[in-house]
Amino acid sequence: MSLTSILLHQALNGLVLGSFYALVALGYTMIFGVIKLLNFAHGDLYMAGGFVALLVLSAISGIVGAGWPGIFLAMLLAMIAVGCLGVVIERIAYHPMLGAPRLSILITALAVSLVLENTVLALTNGQYAAFQTSLGFGGVAIGGLFITYSEMVLVGMAALLMVTLELFVTRTQYGRAMRAVAVDTDMCALLGINVPTVIGVTFFIGSALAAAAGTMAGAYYGSLWYFMGFLIGLKAFTAAVIGGIGSIPGAMLGGLVLGMLESFGTQIPGIGSQWKDVFSFVVLILVLVFKPTGLLGRSEQERM
Amino acid sequence: MNRFGRLAVMAAMACAIAGPAFAQGTIKIGVEVPTTGAEATYGRDMANAVVLAQDEINKAGGVLGKKLTMVIGDDACDPQQAVNAASKLVSQHVLAVVGGYCSGATLPTLKIYGDAHVPFVITASNSTKLIPANPGNAFMINSTGDQQATKAVAFLAGKGAKTLAIVNEGDAYSQDLANLTRADWTKAGHKVVAYETASSGQQDYSAIVTAIRAAKPDAVFWTAYYADGALLIRQLRQAGYRGIIAVGDGSNSTKLFAIAGAAAEGVFCFTNPTAQFLPAAKAFIKAYKARFGSNPGPYAPLTYDGMKLVAWAMTKAGSTASAKVIAALKTADGVQWLTGPIRFTKHNTLARSNFIVLEDRNNAWVRADK
Amino acid sequence: MASDARVLARLAGPLAGFLSRGIGRWIALALLFAAMAAAPFVLGEYATVILTNALLYVVLALGLNVVVGYAGLLDLGYAAFFAVGAYTVGILTLRAGMNFWLTLPAAVAVAAVAGVVVGGPTLRLRSDYLAIVTLGFGEIVRITARNLPITGMASGLSGIRQPWLFGWHIATPRDFYYVFCVLATAAAIVSARLSDSRLGRAWLYVRYDEDAAEAMGIDRVRVKLAAYVTGAIIGAIGGAFFAVNLGAISPPSFSFSQSVSILMAVILGGMGKIPGVILGAMIVVLGPELLRSLGEFRLLVFAIGLLLIMLFRPSGLWPGRSHAK
Repeated sequence: MSLTSILLHQALNGLVLGSFYALVALGYTMIFGVIKLLNFAHGDLYMAGGFVALLVLSAISGIVGAGWPGIFLAMLLAMIAVGCLGVVIERIAYHPMLGAPRLSILITALAVSLVLENTVLALTNGQYAAFQTSLGFGGVAIGGLFITYSEMVLVGMAALLMVTLELFVTRTQYGRAMRAVAVDTDMCALLGINVPTVIGVTFFIGSALAAAAGTMAGAYYGSLWYFMGFLIGLKAFTAAVIGGIGSIPGAMLGGLVLGMLESFGTQIPGIGSQWKDVFSFVVLILVLVFKPTGLLGRSEQERM
Repeated sequence: MNRFGRLAVMAAMACAIAGPAFAQGTIKIGVEVPTTGAEATYGRDMANAVVLAQDEINKAGGVLGKKLTMVIGDDACDPQQAVNAASKLVSQHVLAVVGGYCSGATLPTLKIYGDAHVPFVITASNSTKLIPANPGNAFMINSTGDQQATKAVAFLAGKGAKTLAIVNEGDAYSQDLANLTRADWTKAGHKVVAYETASSGQQDYSAIVTAIRAAKPDAVFWTAYYADGALLIRQLRQAGYRGIIAVGDGSNSTKLFAIAGAAAEGVFCFTNPTAQFLPAAKAFIKAYKARFGSNPGPYAPLTYDGMKLVAWAMTKAGSTASAKVIAALKTADGVQWLTGPIRFTKHNTLARSNFIVLEDRNNAWVRADK
Repeated sequence: MASDARVLARLAGPLAGFLSRGIGRWIALALLFAAMAAAPFVLGEYATVILTNALLYVVLALGLNVVVGYAGLLDLGYAAFFAVGAYTVGILTLRAGMNFWLTLPAAVAVAAVAGVVVGGPTLRLRSDYLAIVTLGFGEIVRITARNLPITGMASGLSGIRQPWLFGWHIATPRDFYYVFCVLATAAAIVSARLSDSRLGRAWLYVRYDEDAAEAMGIDRVRVKLAAYVTGAIIGAIGGAFFAVNLGAISPPSFSFSQSVSILMAVILGGMGKIPGVILGAMIVVLGPELLRSLGEFRLLVFAIGLLLIMLFRPSGLWPGRSHAK
C-alpha cells in the first residue's frame, strides 16, 4: 500500500468510527444541555440498543431476512425501546435527584450504568453474542480505496439521522423548547414551557440515537458484549467535549475529529495501536484543561 | 447386580456426595477454575471434566480406599479473586488442586498453594511466566507458550510465509505468546513486520487492520481469545487482506465461526488436542455428552487427565502426604492418558509438545497438520 | 437488599448513639480491638485472608473518602494511585533490590507528585469533568503499566518478597492481617484528625458552597488539591502493602471496576462518615463472598443496592448525616 492509499483508508476508518462517536456524543450533549447531567449510562444505552436489535432481528429474520431491511426494522424498534428506557431512567433515577448536590446525581448516573451493564452481564453470562446478518463484504474500489457497501450505508444512515435531528431541533416547537431549556430552565418554566416533557423528549431522542449507533455497530462488527458501551461512552464524551459540550453541531464535529485523530494518531511512529486509548484520553484531558468550551461550545462562567 | 449390590453403590454415592460429613473417609480435591466472568464457559467445562473423572475413579473403588470429593474455587479469571479462591480451598484442607485457566489469575495462587504444600496440577494455563514463579509443587500438563510458539513458527514457515504480523490483546497469556513467537520467528531468520496490541472488547480494529495491510505480511497471528479474534479476522478479510490468518489456542472455539462467519474460512488454529481429535477420547466424549448434554470444550480432556493424574500419584505414593504426592508426580511416566503420555521436565512442565494445527473448513475444525 | 439495609440501619441507630457517648465508646473500641486481634485464631485462614482484603478496602475507601466524602470531588480513577503505590514498591524492590521499608516513602512521593500533576490543572474544572478526567487517568495508568517492560507488561511483576520488620518476617496471611489492622486503624485516625482540622472545615465549606468559601478567603483549588493528594498518598500506601501481600501484581487489579468497587465502599456506608466507610468496605468485600452462590447476579445486586441507596438514603447505611457536628 502506498502512503496515499494508507492515508485514504485511515480517513475512511476515521469517518466510520467518527459516525459512531458522533451519534453517541449527540445524546450526551443534548442531555447535558437540558439537565446539566453527565449521563454515565449513555454508553450502556448504546449497548442495550445493540442487544434489543439483535433480539428483534433474530425474531423477524425468518420473515424479512437478515439483510439491510431487517436491520433497519430492528434498529427502528431498538430506537423506540431504548428511547423509552431512557425516559424511564430519567423519571426513576434522575428526576428525583435534580435538586440534589451534583456529586449525588453523578453517582446515581454511575449506578444506573452499573445496573444496565450487570443486568446484561447476568442475562448473557458475560458471553459475547454473535450478531449474525446476511451482509457480505462487497463494495466498490475508487482509486486505491475500497469502500464496502456496509460502510456506505452506515455513514449515510448516520448522516441522515444527524440531519433529521438538526431539522427537528431548529424547525419544530419541541426543538426550540429544547434549546430554550438548555439556556435557562427556570425562565422556560415561568414562560409556560412544560419542562419535564421537554426533558423526557430529549432523553428519548438521545437514547434512541445511541440505540441506532449500537445496532449499526452490532451489524457492522458482528458481535455484542455487555461491556461494549464503556469505552465508546468515554470516547463519545471526549467527542462531545472536543466539539463543545451542549452544542449539537459540536458533537457531530467532535465525533468526526476524534475518529480521525484516533485513526491517524495510531499511525504516528512510536504511538502504535497499544497506545490508542491513551491517545484519546490525553486529547480529552488537554482539551478540558486548555479549551474546556471545545471547538463550538459557548463559554460559560459556571463552575462547580 | 442384585438389589443389595445396587443399594451398596447408592450408599457409596451418597457418601461421596455427603463428602465433608465423612471427612476421614474421603480425599478432597480443589478445582480452581473461573465459573463466573467472561471465561466462565471454559471454567464450567473444566469443572465438568473433573466431575467425570471423579465419578469414574470412585466407581472403581476410589483412591487408597477412600472416595474423592471435589470443591470448586471460582477465580473469575481475576488475580485478586483467584487469591481468595485459593485461600478458601487451602482452608478447606484440600489435598491437591486441579485447574488453572487464565494464566494471569493462576500466577498469584502459586505462592498460596506453595506455602500450604498443596500439589497443584495446572491443566490449561500455559504462560511461561508461571515457570519461574512455581515453588515446586505445581505441574503444568498443558504444553507451555514457548512450545506453541515453536509450533506456530514451524507451521507458518512451512506454508511459505516470510513476513509475519502478530496481534495480542494486552493480557498475560496473549502477550507472552506474542513475545515468544516474535523471538522464535526472528531467530528463524524471518521478519516480524507488524506487532500490535488490541484492547479486550474494543470493537473497531481498523487502525490495526490498516497497519497490517500497510506492512503486507504473508501471515497474521492472533495470539488471544476468540471473541475479539473473530472481529479482527472479519475486519481483515473485509478490508481485503488475503494472506494466511492463524490463531492461538485461546481462540479454539466454534464461537469464532458464529461471529466471524465466512471470514474465518481457512483460518489456522494451534491448540492442545481437543477431544474430537483424540483417538482415545471417544468414550470420554460419549460420557460427557450423556452427563452434561453438550460436547466437551477445549480444556476438558486435559482437566480430566489432571484429576486422574492426581489420583494416580496418590495411589503410587501410597499416601496423600503432599511431599510424597509431589515426588510421585515428578516420576509420572509411561502411562497413556487421554491426551497422551505425561512426563515432566525438571521445571515440572510437560516434556513434549502437544500442539496440533486445525483449519476452519466450512465453519468446522479439521486437522491441518496430518 | 433494601429491606436488609433498612433493618441494618434500624439496628445500627441505637448502637451508634451508644458508641458516640463517652464510656460506651471506649468499651466498644476495646471490644472491637479484642475482636480484631482474636479473629484469625477463631475464624481460620480463609476468613483471615478475606478480612485482610476487607481491611485493605477499608484503607483505600478511607483514602477515597477524603476526596469524595470530605471535599466532594468525584474520583473515578482512584485505582490509579493504588497502582502507583504497588508498582513503585514492585519495581524498586525487584529491579533495584531495595528494602521494602525504603520504597514506602518513594511510593508516597510518586503518588503525591502524580496527584499534583493530575489534580493541579484539572481541579479547576466542573466536577463532572473531573470525574471523567480521573477516569481517563485511571485508564492511562493501567494501559501504561500493561505496555511498559519495566512494569512487567501484561503479566505484571511477580516474586515481590515479603518484608521483615525488626526480625519479624511478615509472611503468613495472619501476619498480613495484623499489618492491615494497623494500617486501617491508622487510616481511620488520620481521617478523623483531618476532618476535625482547619483543612477539614475548609473542605466542608468548599463542598457546600464553593463560591462562598472562596469569598471567605479559602483558596478552593489548593484546598481541593490537598484532598486529592491526601487521597493519593493513602491509596499508594494501600497499594504498597497490597504488592508485598500478594507478591504478584498485574494490570487487571487496577481496572475501572476496582475504582468503582472502592467508590461503592465509600458511598454504601455513608460518605464522609468514618464508621460508615468502614462498614461500606466490609460490605463490598464480604458481600460477594457471601453471595457467591448467586454467580453473575451478585454484581447486579450490588449495582441495584447502590442505586437504591442513592435514591432513598443518600447519606448511606450508617445512621446520621455526614458531618453531623
